[in-house]
Amino acid sequence: MPDHSSQPVVSLRDIHKHFGALEVLKGISLEAQKGEVIAILGSSGSGKSTMLRCINMLELPTAGEVAINGEAIRLKVTRNGPAIADQKQIDRIRTRVAMVFQSFNLWSHMTIEQNLIEAPIHVQGRHRSDCIAEAKALLDKVGIADKIDAYPAHLSGGQQQRAAIARALAMHPDVMLFDEPTSALDPERVGEVLKVIRALAEEGRTMLVVTHEMAFAREVASRVIFLHQGRIEEDGPAKETFANPKSERFRQFIATAHNH
Amino acid sequence: MDFAFIGQTFLQLLGGIPLTLKLAAVAFLIASVLAVLIAIIRTRKIPVLDQIAGFYVFVLRGTPLLVQIFLIYYGLGQFRPTLQSLGLWQFLRDPYWCSILALALNSSAYASEILRGGLRSVPVREIETARAYGMSGLRLYRRIILPIAIRRALPGYGNELILMVKATSLTSTITLMEVTGIAAKLISESYRPVEVFIAAGVIYLAINFILTRVIALLDWWLTPHLRRPRIVAAKLEPAHA
Repeated sequence: MPDHSSQPVVSLRDIHKHFGALEVLKGISLEAQKGEVIAILGSSGSGKSTMLRCINMLELPTAGEVAINGEAIRLKVTRNGPAIADQKQIDRIRTRVAMVFQSFNLWSHMTIEQNLIEAPIHVQGRHRSDCIAEAKALLDKVGIADKIDAYPAHLSGGQQQRAAIARALAMHPDVMLFDEPTSALDPERVGEVLKVIRALAEEGRTMLVVTHEMAFAREVASRVIFLHQGRIEEDGPAKETFANPKSERFRQFIATAHNH
Repeated sequence: MDFAFIGQTFLQLLGGIPLTLKLAAVAFLIASVLAVLIAIIRTRKIPVLDQIAGFYVFVLRGTPLLVQIFLIYYGLGQFRPTLQSLGLWQFLRDPYWCSILALALNSSAYASEILRGGLRSVPVREIETARAYGMSGLRLYRRIILPIAIRRALPGYGNELILMVKATSLTSTITLMEVTGIAAKLISESYRPVEVFIAAGVIYLAINFILTRVIALLDWWLTPHLRRPRIVAAKLEPAHA
């Protein structure tokens, strides 16, 4: 259940993002409370991935403020646009915000185990033996315990994505960001990854999931956000919003998705 | 062909191997450190340093190594007072250190280009992921970028090591008695260049044969992710209940 009593885990305030003359985000404000599972929907080009990448500063917003657990991320303005003001702060905050990417992005020269323990050991400074024990448990949880010594290239897409989710979990993050986690998978592999994400949602983890999987959004998310041309067009509890969209565009979006 | 003489010469030339290997190893180590720095400067396009590094590489690749050795050995004497005041003269009047310097600088220019290719081939997504997991600066290079780049650059880098071993032969022109230096001396004593150079050639060939094997082994050992997975035992998946 979302917890509204404390400060939001993620807070975006009037985020704008320009790529040259193109304005991709036109003022996004959003608060994610602890325990919320937010599905972020929108057609391609609506800015949903860019929005997600602004949360951990893989894209630097041109204007606006991002705060994680109430701590605002410091940026500075340079001639070439926004820049990181305090790399240490961002590195620290990024360990609280684990991202799962569309194309998995496991480090190719490391085994699955090494992928899982890399940042916990070398960024968070945790004990190697603890990290290894936890890596085993996490891989067991996502159902690929037998792949612990394999290299990413030797796994199927679904297995790689599950390993990437385990890598994110190994950080003990406060919030998880999923950037179209099933879009690069073969259709028959989508289910196994969604199953893992669904289990995480049921654990009460705070998650923001950019997705095209409408059924998943409807059933798993507690809240749904629909982006259109860089603005939040619809924002509400998942079930009600799907049943009764306030915005005509979201209604059309759902209808089109159903016909596919 | 006098095989007995070749055998005799071969034994005498063996005495030059330690110096040949020492020159190659020390110069290669210094070159590697310089090459990493130059490659990072040029990849990150750090202003001013990038231009200086680019010019450095241009000059050192564009002029013959022999000319560089002569310039350093004969030319630096002109700056003797300055070098003395810097405490460098005791090194730079010594043909051994002049050779090390020339070999290291020359090789660093080539090696930096090889490494730069390796750095450029590191998948952007893997770097971005490392950033998203809290890595930056030196740690990002040490843990992710360089391990991937070095693996990709290794075959080319191995070539550079072999070129280095062969390049040490040029230091015989400034009096060093490594394998080729001893060979030159034996020729002036015996007037039998063919036999002497055959023996010397065999030695270089043997050294480089071992080095190519070592590099291939290192490459194999560092890139298990590029090999097919080893099948330990045929394991049957249990049927779904």
